[in-house]
Amino acid sequence: MPTSASPADANLQRLDPFSLEIVSEGLIAISDEMFVTTQRTSQSTIIYEVLDFAVGLTDAEGGLITQGNGVTLFLGTLGPGVRASLDRFGLEGIAEGDILLTNDPYGGGGTHLSDVTVLMPIFYDGELVSFAINKAHWTEVGGKDPGSVSTNTTEIYQEGLQFPVVKLYDAGVPNVAVFDVIAANVRVPTMSIGDLHAQLASVRLAARRFQELAEKYGIAFVQASIARMRARSVELTQRELERLPAGVYEVEDWVDADEHGGPYRICVKVTISADAFVCDFTGTHGQLLTPMNCTRTALKSAVQLIFKSLTGPELPLNEGVFDRLEVICPDRTMFTAERPAPVSTYWEVLVRISDLVWKALAEAVPARTTAGHFLSLCCDLISGNHPDSDELFILFEPNAGGWGAGQGKDGERALVSIGDGETYMIPVEVAEQKYGVVVEQYRLNTTSAGAGKWRGGEGIVKDYRITAEAVTVTGIIGRHEFPAWGAAGGQDGSPNEMHFIYADGRPPEVTGMISGVTLHRGDIVRVVTGSGGGWGEPLERDPALVAGDVRNEFITVDDADAIYGVDVDPQTFAVQALSERRSTPVTRDEGNRS
Amino acid sequence: MSTVDGHQRGPLRVATDIGGTFTDLVYLDTSDGSIGLAKASTTPPEFERGVVDALNKAQIDATSDVVSFAHGSTVVINALTERKGSVTALITTAGFRDILEITRANRPDLFNLRFAKPEPFVERALRFEVRERLSYTGEVLTPLDEADVERAAKAAAAAGAEAIAICFLHSYANPEHERRCAEVVRRVLPGVSVSMSHEISMEWREYERTSTTVLNAYVQRVAARYLDRLAAELETRGIDRQRYVMQSSGGTTSFEHAKERPITLVESGPVAGIMGAAIIGQAIGRQDVIALDIGGTTAKTSLIEQGKVKVTTDYRIGWEPANPGYPVKVPVVDIVEIGAGGGSIAWLDEALGLHVGPRSAGAKPGPACYPEGGAEPTVTDANLIAGRIDPEYFLGGEIAVSLERARTAMSTIADPLGVSLDEAALGVIRVANASMVNAIKLVSVRRGHDPRDFDLVAFGGGGSMHAAALAAELRIERVIIPPAPGLFSAWGMLMTEERGDWLRTSVMQIDALRPGDLDAIWHDLERSADDHFDGQTDHDPSLILTRSADMRYKGQEHTVKVPVAAGPMGAEELADVESRFAELHERHYTFRLDAPVEFVNFHLTALRPLGASRDLPRQQRDGDVGEALRGKRMVHFDQQGWNEAAIYERARLPTGQTVDGPAVVEEASASTLVFPGQRFSVDEWSNVVIEL
Repeated sequence: MPTSASPADANLQRLDPFSLEIVSEGLIAISDEMFVTTQRTSQSTIIYEVLDFAVGLTDAEGGLITQGNGVTLFLGTLGPGVRASLDRFGLEGIAEGDILLTNDPYGGGGTHLSDVTVLMPIFYDGELVSFAINKAHWTEVGGKDPGSVSTNTTEIYQEGLQFPVVKLYDAGVPNVAVFDVIAANVRVPTMSIGDLHAQLASVRLAARRFQELAEKYGIAFVQASIARMRARSVELTQRELERLPAGVYEVEDWVDADEHGGPYRICVKVTISADAFVCDFTGTHGQLLTPMNCTRTALKSAVQLIFKSLTGPELPLNEGVFDRLEVICPDRTMFTAERPAPVSTYWEVLVRISDLVWKALAEAVPARTTAGHFLSLCCDLISGNHPDSDELFILFEPNAGGWGAGQGKDGERALVSIGDGETYMIPVEVAEQKYGVVVEQYRLNTTSAGAGKWRGGEGIVKDYRITAEAVTVTGIIGRHEFPAWGAAGGQDGSPNEMHFIYADGRPPEVTGMISGVTLHRGDIVRVVTGSGGGWGEPLERDPALVAGDVRNEFITVDDADAIYGVDVDPQTFAVQALSERRSTPVTRDEGNRS
Repeated sequence: MSTVDGHQRGPLRVATDIGGTFTDLVYLDTSDGSIGLAKASTTPPEFERGVVDALNKAQIDATSDVVSFAHGSTVVINALTERKGSVTALITTAGFRDILEITRANRPDLFNLRFAKPEPFVERALRFEVRERLSYTGEVLTPLDEADVERAAKAAAAAGAEAIAICFLHSYANPEHERRCAEVVRRVLPGVSVSMSHEISMEWREYERTSTTVLNAYVQRVAARYLDRLAAELETRGIDRQRYVMQSSGGTTSFEHAKERPITLVESGPVAGIMGAAIIGQAIGRQDVIALDIGGTTAKTSLIEQGKVKVTTDYRIGWEPANPGYPVKVPVVDIVEIGAGGGSIAWLDEALGLHVGPRSAGAKPGPACYPEGGAEPTVTDANLIAGRIDPEYFLGGEIAVSLERARTAMSTIADPLGVSLDEAALGVIRVANASMVNAIKLVSVRRGHDPRDFDLVAFGGGGSMHAAALAAELRIERVIIPPAPGLFSAWGMLMTEERGDWLRTSVMQIDALRPGDLDAIWHDLERSADDHFDGQTDHDPSLILTRSADMRYKGQEHTVKVPVAAGPMGAEELADVESRFAELHERHYTFRLDAPVEFVNFHLTALRPLGASRDLPRQQRDGDVGEALRGKRMVHFDQQGWNEAAIYERARLPTGQTVDGPAVVEEASASTLVFPGQRFSVDEWSNVVIEL
């Protein structure tokens, strides 16, 4: 029946476009299946709700074939694992049945120690043809703080257990020592080992599926399909690149100050031509003594992320997409940190990089962009013993915030950051059962910030009242000093914050990055995320929309008048009058974009 | 007894299914087991007119003896997708007014900076907070402030609300506050429709439950009016008892219950075909089947194991890979649906990659070959070019299709690719088949089942045309095409049972259970079922109660549905359930854990057979295959190329005689394709059975 070519006559089979299409879809289906398997078998919320993991296939050299993502952070971070494995063991040192493990941020891991990459070489007819890869954030890899993420480490050695590249399985035989070392070094071994099993299940399944595909269509035909997928991606991306306005775009921004100094300057010069997209980060501050650093792999990942957003969010993901991308940055900056710089909060730096390029191009590519958003993943980490069971719990979650307005579009309210993706906020009802907290409120953070012809969307306010006897709290909340940027005349958004409200009447504290604060029963941890930036002059906002904003209590009657020049009746919400300011033409600062 | 075309009809069981284009009617004459069919155009927004037209066509009137009437309707899903429901207000726990708008905040369209969340069905000005609070165990932390409720109700009415949804945190653990809130609302606003979350869903996760409750409130009035109008029409034909509506769970419910929980009708039509496939499978002794329904715009598939259709509460309206949709936590048959059907449009991207769907030519303009058809080629056009459809006998000759128009449209694919029209048409079919194969893998392989252990039951307008190729690809050995596959959903509806589901979250670790804990929960659920069936659960011997539990290893999120035996649950029964859980967990997820096991949700299903015999009548038709032969035609069989195929008229085929492919079996609503090397026969239940 239809297709039953053996490998031998694969080359004879017509390279017809339809079969190529079907094999490509088959490859994409493999990463989909890996993804679902991991999600469904994992034991930690960071994987099954936050989806802080990625799966994919590369060729034998580490070139990406297809990748399945729950979040955007792991773009371009699978291939380096393969290359590090080949460097370490050589082609001849890798056997069928091997499974490799790495989390080295400066090498094959590329992100932080919490992200553990599992790689399985796939063999067909005795030849290495592909790698199946699963990279996932473990809730625990040891280190100085529960959850293995801090804001005040000074060296990587404080951040947890390091796997350079090690063989977890050697030709099918488990390396029990590695499992034992993991179990001895992490705080919740059942959870970490459980997640490792979820990862193993997914790479084994991928190997089986890849072999089935090769069996059916012949390996040569599968490889021809991969080559064609890439060639098509190169071509489609090239067309998109030609649609971007050629030019040089420069922009700078600032990263919040810390105990050692700051704020720290970061910057980019983007040069777009018909055949290249070059991002030069020269001028960015040197690597820090806090984990607000990332490695060169993460830098490339950040640029790939925004490049994909600007050129073809809907196109399939493989090595071909990034053919025209070039990244320039000196060594040992915040974006190119080297050992032993701490990197445990690398994602906060990664999203700043994407945001820089986004900011540089927002007004030049309005059809694909918006003004700035709250950006920081605004993670809170609360650990302690559950008041009912006395078992250790670790609540670690990102938060939703406000997105920027764009041309013809208000900003989205309460949406996860660009660094997240198909990430689900933990339901209040689940959190209260699982962790020692009661959620006192979870609502939109209504402020007058982010004003514009199109308004920036609102962030959230969430209060955790602690019911455990004592907890340790870490806040990894960026853009605390420098809120989301407005565009095209729109105003900036509002800052992200973590508040500690004490039951004993001490004055509350408001902060951004903070590690290891002890709170007690009755105290409140409040997470506040900011509004996105506005787009266009506020005085140009449609008065009917302003009236709706008042009626829905997003802004006050006074805001409507002072910011938008619209007099709204507080009872009927009808527009009563328009300010004269609305008819005066506004001149605006075009900024330093050239 | 009424007489139609000289045939004496006995008591009739009637089912009508409203589809996007046609309203189908199937009836069963209970005196002799014979089946009648009728089809009328669907007539939005007064859908009941289509039903009346179909009844007229079937000559069912006041003189007919209709003993039961089952109905599948798109009225709920239409009201939602077209936003034609009531102005709805939400009353919720103080501090949580924005839960509906915050959603779970996920952003599935990962790289799209201009992603837009689905608009909430209740805007902020209509979302009201009242003081009250429960803990996750259902303990009252803050009593309900009834004055707040009164204020909220009045403000809602002043803002124009026609329906009120009430959803409080942890109401699944203690519904008392919602009940009292509803009493106050009803007192303040008599006549307004009120939906309480615990009556719609007793599962945890506040956003999902709020969403479900809001959608129920939003469609309640539309659904009630529709069902009332339909009931009035039916009454003029003497159809005044045993009237049922199809629910998404695969069972029916009374008009009265449907009006209270209309959201349970959201997938009313599509699930009936899946139920039908299960029934066919059981009747002919094939318990494990994969149901495949290929319609005009989509293909739907579902896996049936041991005769049981799988039901979940993870449904989302409008869900797509890049769109989170709106959660609806009511039982819905577990269906995977993809945008590949007969009307799906084939197109080339900028790098000349071929894609099929999800855009569809629909009923209007329809495939290019239609008299008023579109300019873009569709899967139907490809089938026509490949000779798989007879241009003279499309929909029994009702539509005059043009091969020429199909070929012109297909040239927009063939020319840029530099291939022949035949190759392009075959390419379109293969790409469409590949997505259908992937859909079938989603319900089988991905959930730990080997498709080779299943038979494929294919129906819908396009099911019989694609089934044999899909089965070959999946190495399925047997394909079953039921009679009149185009109206199979309505037939399935005719055969289904009345159903109710009660599901409740209560997280309990097995090794911390006290004796009687579980019995109390089951007892509560059974009492709810009892109320629903008017106190008949004890003495109606036909009522079947089935228990299952969603269970997980402590620490995990995802659960496995485990069947639970009736009766008190002692240590032995618990051990049984725990070991069955471990078995099922391993099947789904490949491993077992040495970790404590928890119950999460308790689920009771009640089924009441409605008198349709599942023992389908057998029929023996004697004669010679040659009598059914209508002629021969060249048909393209993909890699086997053009072959001369015998064309048979289905109704004339004799029972039990094996015929070799290549062949096309034609009937008014569909054509069945049999490849060279395959064989087929007609079984005693008039199914075409293809052996691979």
